[in-house]
Amino acid sequence: MISQLLKTLRDGDGFEAALVLAAIGYLLVFAAFPLVYNIVMSFQEVDMFSLASFDRPFRGLDNYRDLIQRPEAWEILRNTIIFVSCSVVFQLGLGFALALFFQLDFPGAGAIRGLFLAGWVMPGLVVGAIWKWIFAGDFGVLNYALHSAGLIDKNIFWLSDPAYALAAVTIANIWLGIPFNMILLSVGLAGIPEDIYEAAELDGANRWQRFMSITVPLMGSTLGAVISLGIIFTLQQFDLVAALTQGGPANASNIAQYWSWQMSFQTYEISAGSVVATLMIAVVVVVAAIYVRSVQHEHSA
Amino acid sequence: MFQIEIEHLNKSYGHARVLKDISLQVPLGAFVALVGPSGCGKSTLLRTIAGLEKITSGTLKIAGVVVNDKPPRERDVAMVFQSYALYPHMTVEDNMTYALRLRHRPKREIAERVADVAEILGLGLLLGRTPRALSGGQRQRVAMGRAIIRDPKAFLFDEPLSNLDASLRVKMRGEIRKLHQRLGATSVYVTHDQIEAMTMADMVVVLRDGAIEQVGAPLTLYQQPVNRFVAGFIGSPAMNFVPAILVDDGNSLLLGGDAACRLRLGQRRAPGRAVLAGLRPEHLTLGGVGKAQTFAARVESVEGTGSMTFIEMSIAHGATAGAGDAVMLTLAQSGISTVRPGDRVTVGIDPADIYVFDPDSGLALQADPAP
Amino acid sequence: MKRSLLTGVAVVLAALYLFPVYWMFVTAMKTSGEIFQYPPAFWPASPHFQFRAVFASYNLGRYIWNSLLIATGTTAITIVLGTGAAYALAYVRGFAVNVALFAILMLQVLPPSLMVTPIFVAFNQVGLLEWPRVAVVLATAAKTLPFYIILCRATFTQVPRELRDAALVDGNSRVGAFLHIILPLARNGILITGVLVFLQSFGEYVYSRSLIADKELQTATVGLSTFLGADANDWVGLMTYSSLYVTPILLIFVVLQRRIVSGLTSGALK
Ligand SMILES: Nc1ncnc2c1ncn2[C@@H]1O[C@H](COP(=O)(O)OP(=O)(O)O)[C@@H](O)[C@H]1O
Ligand SMILES: [Mg+2]
Repeated sequence: MISQLLKTLRDGDGFEAALVLAAIGYLLVFAAFPLVYNIVMSFQEVDMFSLASFDRPFRGLDNYRDLIQRPEAWEILRNTIIFVSCSVVFQLGLGFALALFFQLDFPGAGAIRGLFLAGWVMPGLVVGAIWKWIFAGDFGVLNYALHSAGLIDKNIFWLSDPAYALAAVTIANIWLGIPFNMILLSVGLAGIPEDIYEAAELDGANRWQRFMSITVPLMGSTLGAVISLGIIFTLQQFDLVAALTQGGPANASNIAQYWSWQMSFQTYEISAGSVVATLMIAVVVVVAAIYVRSVQHEHSA
Repeated sequence: MFQIEIEHLNKSYGHARVLKDISLQVPLGAFVALVGPSGCGKSTLLRTIAGLEKITSGTLKIAGVVVNDKPPRERDVAMVFQSYALYPHMTVEDNMTYALRLRHRPKREIAERVADVAEILGLGLLLGRTPRALSGGQRQRVAMGRAIIRDPKAFLFDEPLSNLDASLRVKMRGEIRKLHQRLGATSVYVTHDQIEAMTMADMVVVLRDGAIEQVGAPLTLYQQPVNRFVAGFIGSPAMNFVPAILVDDGNSLLLGGDAACRLRLGQRRAPGRAVLAGLRPEHLTLGGVGKAQTFAARVESVEGTGSMTFIEMSIAHGATAGAGDAVMLTLAQSGISTVRPGDRVTVGIDPADIYVFDPDSGLALQADPAP
Repeated sequence: MKRSLLTGVAVVLAALYLFPVYWMFVTAMKTSGEIFQYPPAFWPASPHFQFRAVFASYNLGRYIWNSLLIATGTTAITIVLGTGAAYALAYVRGFAVNVALFAILMLQVLPPSLMVTPIFVAFNQVGLLEWPRVAVVLATAAKTLPFYIILCRATFTQVPRELRDAALVDGNSRVGAFLHIILPLARNGILITGVLVFLQSFGEYVYSRSLIADKELQTATVGLSTFLGADANDWVGLMTYSSLYVTPILLIFVVLQRRIVSGLTSGALK
């Protein structure tokens, strides 16, 4: 019995199975279990006092009902939608423009393009700190630049003015997301065979026509994947909010993932934090499923 | 004495049956070729022998021992892969000695064997290189060396020459054959190229869709194919198959059902039905000589290589087939031919060279000595 | 001529994009008075760093040490558990493998800021918060492991399976073939992905902030965030802190840039 087990571990499929099961086991304990536990807690009463207890009162959907009745809930939902959609649109647009530019054949294109990823490897919190200094109201370099360009005549208090706080966080997040979008789109562009363009050129298509009739349709599934990944990464963004505004002033720049954390760790309304987390995770999982599909689609194509 | 014995072996991937009831016995020291169109399961059969694929049912014995559940390393076979599968991070010498080192053979013995093999395969100057720095032909030799440095119970080859260019392929064919004569080791050689199988093997196994169609010596397969598939697969260019009707109490047939194309058979077949006549291109002659009997045809196209000429012809008037549905034949002739498309020619064939098949089952119709 | 013009444009674009990084270094080289000048100076009058002062006043050594410990632990767990799984998922085919891959992809996208609530409560209940840095390592590894498996798997799929078959026929076990043949050939991919995991966990924030209460055990990101409060004005100090923290990361990035880019692109879309 034991020797048979050893044998399959050494020579049979048992070896591969054991390797996968070790990793899956870890993920079950430290990722899948919390995921389920989160859902469970969203139906329970969890606060400072019942935190350590294993037997907490069941509240059914009450937590969900309470949550949507909070006045700030809708504002934060709106902020989240603006944050995600603006981030994705601008990251994609600027990333695509850069990818197309670096697709042109010139010396150093690859190396210079790689430099952009420097922003991506830096800890989000450090990026947030730098942007906080750039955004600073009286001495920030951004206000100076806008002044010099004649775009504003009074300093904008990016982080403390409710009208601008969300924009500030979004701008920093766009900066962070551009390189990744650009690199993935570059890969997609490089995958389009040169001779298709040549054939279209012989057929008399100009640059713009070639872009619309070849590049855009052939990039379809890559674009799908990049947009999904952009949404996923934006919904993971936490560090920038923590560094820049902490959701303030008065929730003007608060977004769902930060709000969830605030409720769990600052006001100890853990049930409410779990409710937001559960809802957001559901969104992320749906987007991820779309992403996986579009990638598989690309592979079978 | 059989070195490899396969009995009722089946292999499925999920619902796909890839090998169907294979039974095969490979004599000690034989060189057996597995041949068949691509996707027919040759590699899978070879890999089950090596232990790289589990079998679904049946038994597999190597040197008399059932090895169904043994991992590859306990089967003691050597294999040459189509891609060569040389370890890129090891030198040529380390590639070849890997198996010996795994078996903890003494250093001196390993050195001696490397020297021997390098000498046999002419690899002496390459031992310190990595595979990356070798040409395709050299890599192929190293892959061979990695196999023959051991003294395994059997050699398994999976299309080892298919990545070489044509002339090198012909040269290596001869070398592998010589190597086999010298080492006398049992070998199973997979190829989709029937010429390779015919020229190299003592015994050829024809596979189709995961099942064995025929096993025999190369010339037996050529002369006595058991069915239309084997007849069509063995021989190049491929055999012509022409619908025909048996007449004259089974002693003659009418090609294309046309009374003008009446051919006497070498041996009588059971009479009174539609059949397929099999005519090998190289058995057809222009004009007809010796015992040949003749029929008329029209030349449609001529392809000459200098040493050979292939003449595509239609039989004068196909009466059974609909109008315009002419019966086409290929004739192969050595040397250069002067016929041109449009010429009317007389084609001859020896009665003994006519094969007859059942059009439905494809089975060869044997001589019927009655009435 | 036209092509070198394009290179010029590319350099300008990169410079514009990287301005925030430049601004961090420049600010770090200014004096406290200089940063409040108007207009701001784009190059300090007399560049000088206050490494020592910042190291001492911000307790940076302690923080970096904690970050290093956590990054090392996370990377170790990830590589030990992830490498074998990535190999197996690359070499074995079938329905179960597709399910496992899908599950792993789904776990990769879970936002830590949302997962931290249940992890905190559960770790608290089982007493894991007694060892807060271990708790952070365990939680972070659950995030980096799927990422690592997916990128590494792409590396393993580049190693032809026939090499494993050859090793098995040559007389190795599956374990041996993995260790002697496949692993060495996937070394580069493993290394690069390992570095990415290390960099990621070196900059980790959410779990450290939420699971570590003791100030002495906190990481560099958490330290930075506490100094970043609303009334932060020692920008020279904060930018020096940031520079000291990210310079090693940027150096590693510059050295491995080419490989990181190709590793990312091969894995991310496959
Ligand atoms: N791992 C596998 N899973 C499913 N089907 C397979 C697998 N390997 C081979 N097959 C199928 O088995 C059949 C035989 O394959 P193979 O033995 O490689 O053919 P050959 O070597 O004769 O070209 C093919 O139809 C192939 O698609
Ligand atoms: Mg094959």
